[in-house]
Amino acid sequence: MTAFPAALLPLPVAIPLVICAAMLATAHLLPARLPDILATLSALTVAVLCGVIAVRAADGPLVYWFGGWEPRDGLHLGIGFSVDEASGWVAAFIGLLYALTFVFAWGFFDRTHGHFHILMLLFLAAMVGFCFTRDMFNLFVWFEVMSVAAFALTAYHLAESGLAGAINFTVVNSLAGFLMLGGIGLIYAQTGTLDFEGIAAAVARGGRDPVVAGAFCLVAGALMIKGAIVPFQFWLADAHAVAPSPVSVIFSGAMVSLGLFGLAKVSAVVFGASDQVQHALPALLIGLGCFTALLGGWMALLQRHLKRMLAFSTISHAGIMLTGLGALSVDGTGGMLVYVVGHGLVKGALFMVAGILLATQASIDEIALRGLGRGIWPAGIAMALAGLLLCGLPLGLLDQGTRLIQGALAQQGHGIALVAGVIGAALTGAAVLRAAGRIFLGLGPDPGDEAGAPSEDEREKANRPLWLMLGPCCALLALDMGVPAGLIEHALPRAASAFMHRPVVDAVSEGPGWLPWASVAAALAGAGYGLLRNHLPALLVLPVRATQSAPTRALEALHSGLIGDYAAWLAVGVAMIAAVLAMA
Amino acid sequence: MSVLPYAVAAWLFGIGLYGIATSRNFIHLVGCLGVCQSATYVLLLGLGYRWGGIAPIFYDHPPGTPAVDPVMQALVLTDIVVGATLTALLLVLTIQAHKRGGSLDPEKLRPMRAGGTSGRGQGASRVSDREQSTS
Amino acid sequence: MSPRVRIALLALAALVLLPGAAEVIAGLPPFGSTIAQYGERINAITPEARHVANMVSAINFDLRGLDTLGEEFMLLAAITGTVVLLRGRRGEGNTGHAMRRPGRAVIPRSEAVILACRIAGPLTALFGLYVVLHATVTPGGGFQGGVILASGTLLIYLGEGYAGWRQAIHSHWLDALEGGGALLFALCGLVPMLTGAAFMQNILPLGTFRDLFSGGLMLVENLGVALAVTGGFTQLFLEFMEETRAADEAEEPGEESA
Repeated sequence: MTAFPAALLPLPVAIPLVICAAMLATAHLLPARLPDILATLSALTVAVLCGVIAVRAADGPLVYWFGGWEPRDGLHLGIGFSVDEASGWVAAFIGLLYALTFVFAWGFFDRTHGHFHILMLLFLAAMVGFCFTRDMFNLFVWFEVMSVAAFALTAYHLAESGLAGAINFTVVNSLAGFLMLGGIGLIYAQTGTLDFEGIAAAVARGGRDPVVAGAFCLVAGALMIKGAIVPFQFWLADAHAVAPSPVSVIFSGAMVSLGLFGLAKVSAVVFGASDQVQHALPALLIGLGCFTALLGGWMALLQRHLKRMLAFSTISHAGIMLTGLGALSVDGTGGMLVYVVGHGLVKGALFMVAGILLATQASIDEIALRGLGRGIWPAGIAMALAGLLLCGLPLGLLDQGTRLIQGALAQQGHGIALVAGVIGAALTGAAVLRAAGRIFLGLGPDPGDEAGAPSEDEREKANRPLWLMLGPCCALLALDMGVPAGLIEHALPRAASAFMHRPVVDAVSEGPGWLPWASVAAALAGAGYGLLRNHLPALLVLPVRATQSAPTRALEALHSGLIGDYAAWLAVGVAMIAAVLAMA
Repeated sequence: MSVLPYAVAAWLFGIGLYGIATSRNFIHLVGCLGVCQSATYVLLLGLGYRWGGIAPIFYDHPPGTPAVDPVMQALVLTDIVVGATLTALLLVLTIQAHKRGGSLDPEKLRPMRAGGTSGRGQGASRVSDREQSTS
Repeated sequence: MSPRVRIALLALAALVLLPGAAEVIAGLPPFGSTIAQYGERINAITPEARHVANMVSAINFDLRGLDTLGEEFMLLAAITGTVVLLRGRRGEGNTGHAMRRPGRAVIPRSEAVILACRIAGPLTALFGLYVVLHATVTPGGGFQGGVILASGTLLIYLGEGYAGWRQAIHSHWLDALEGGGALLFALCGLVPMLTGAAFMQNILPLGTFRDLFSGGLMLVENLGVALAVTGGFTQLFLEFMEETRAADEAEEPGEESA
């Protein structure tokens, strides 16, 4: 018998599952708009329930044991859900993102008898389960359900490029699943239990153990593949760019960040007592994070296909999140969690703008769309605002997350990571602002290096009014900017400490106040260069072009789209993680 | 002898990954992914084994007879379902790829062509102008 | 990257990983010496606690029922994805003609095959039902039995031909079966909460050890899984079967297929 509010814990997972199954059972009897209505209501219900759970979890994590199997004699027999405040709020954010996405996609998928909504609701349930669980194998199950739902949702458009992207996505993420399963097997054999707390206790008793390090290597590799960290990031650009835009909103807004969320939870809670892992983590995470932030930003600037550009920008921001995690402190991880929510809101809004362009202008190519956005200028304002928020405009959740991460890194003296983060954010912001300027203001006649980037003729069904598509986009941006900073500051030390299972700290430090402005300035300079290239003196333009072209071609060639390459890089990545762990 | 199951698991994963990296046929690639998955089966079942243990079903034997680890068996059952779903999805994608592209070669199916194939008139002509003047 | 570069990268990764793998293998408990504490405890307490003989079923439907719920819905997602991907291009009608490969003859079914299928079909269905029902006493269960039942439907195609197959198998029923089974399983989780117990807690009478009716709620969940798996896999076979039919009109390239 579990007391309210712990009894609420299964509901955010069970309700979408029940509605999903009911919709499938009656798939051919459903009237036209019912799937949309049901799906939106379910997502809203999930968001509200998770919010209530998060508020109640402020005093301490809520725990629920499934099947009535409470732990006996210190041995965990059943599966448990353990929700701390931070996990609850992340789940609530996910529910809200889904609700707004369903509104955005209203009527878009009406030919499929609700199958899209079935898959999306399953995706939602899996994400919430992933946030809530305290069992390693249950984590894997929700990871796989997320992956399978994502695979099925990617190839909706059935164009040839969509198939290649979907296949690459499926194979790479399946390999991630296998790695994770191997890691779980190893840690189970060594510790005899599958529960987070049980494993943590056994790891603490064990001392330096190669099996624990091996298990962490595999599990971390799997989560970093999902989180699109270099050298595992190749699948994201392919898959993301070809999925329909409502699905892309979820991929970048929630799915990629959840991989890093999982990594944060597992490394802090399960492997928190392993000295070897904790010594290896800063070098590993900050190193990979810097590289990812820079590579993602650079590649974003070189794209002309908007969704591909946004995919690379997600990679860059995932790198920034990883550096925040690598600080291994309450402000670093807390900042990363706030960043997850802020980035999800802003990136989701950007993908909605991309969807609006696809539906109203029947193209997603930045160069082809030049000047054509004038008729839908509200979308242009949204895009410009989102671009500014991405590069660090000191307003809202994303900025707060950035400053917290920067504070954590500054405190520990990771100057390179700070610079990499600032540059990465500036590059991605520059790319988005340049695209906005080109599409909505008609600037930038000289295409520059972007002309050589991959692109495709694409369009999406144009059956929704502009306000129906723009509304959720603006709602996301409003949420990002609207949450009061004081609320976060007050709750964050307590929430992040509970998340990491560490004693509560008094306050968190923030980074230098001028850093966001530096990043914004750099982004505006970059966008200005891109847009006004033909007006600038040759003295300025030629050196920049010379530095850009050769590395550009090399980087673009690496992102070949061939699954064989991706598999080779996957092996290299796992070897890298193993090497860093061995040296720690 | 006691390292053989684990060594076999590691080998299977490695050879499966090699197969994926050098595959020239999508159906072969799906098979290689299956080989990678078999590595996890061997690892899990090997970790759960006990010499002389019966299957964890106490129908013919009384409860309390030493049995192998039932948790690992349940994990492998889930793994098998995962494998079935992945194979089904990948084969469907392969069918569609063959229908659209006419080929089953991973090397020939690329997500997007570089240089942009956007058919919009003004964009294309401007691109070709600029490319000529800047190259 | 050329295949040589890929193999070089793979070899490099293998070289780095080999000492680590050796260390991990050396650090693992010796093969076959012992099983984990979790498994040991389950083997010890479950026959008493739940009156079942099959520990694996007990884990799947009771102790770790949430995992199975997730797995069930994963199957549902994959089948749904398959249906959308294949049907989105093909449309929902069924076509009369089989695809013809140039140069390959279409051999009509022999009477021996038809007879064999008519005998084997009901036997397979019976066996599948047996496997489904005896989840708690034999190494059977919903998944295993469901797959056997689904494979049994293929015997209908072998024996009766495409026309007979389409008459027997209707996609809407399969959707209902799949969704209904998954719904039943999910409700098995929620209904105990209405009586004040935990999610998926075994609230039904547990029956007698080593009897067909043992395990309580496990049997209902098992039924749900069996229905869903049967429906799902048959749906899969249906979709792949339809791919072998010739399309009536030429398929149009990439328009708005959503």
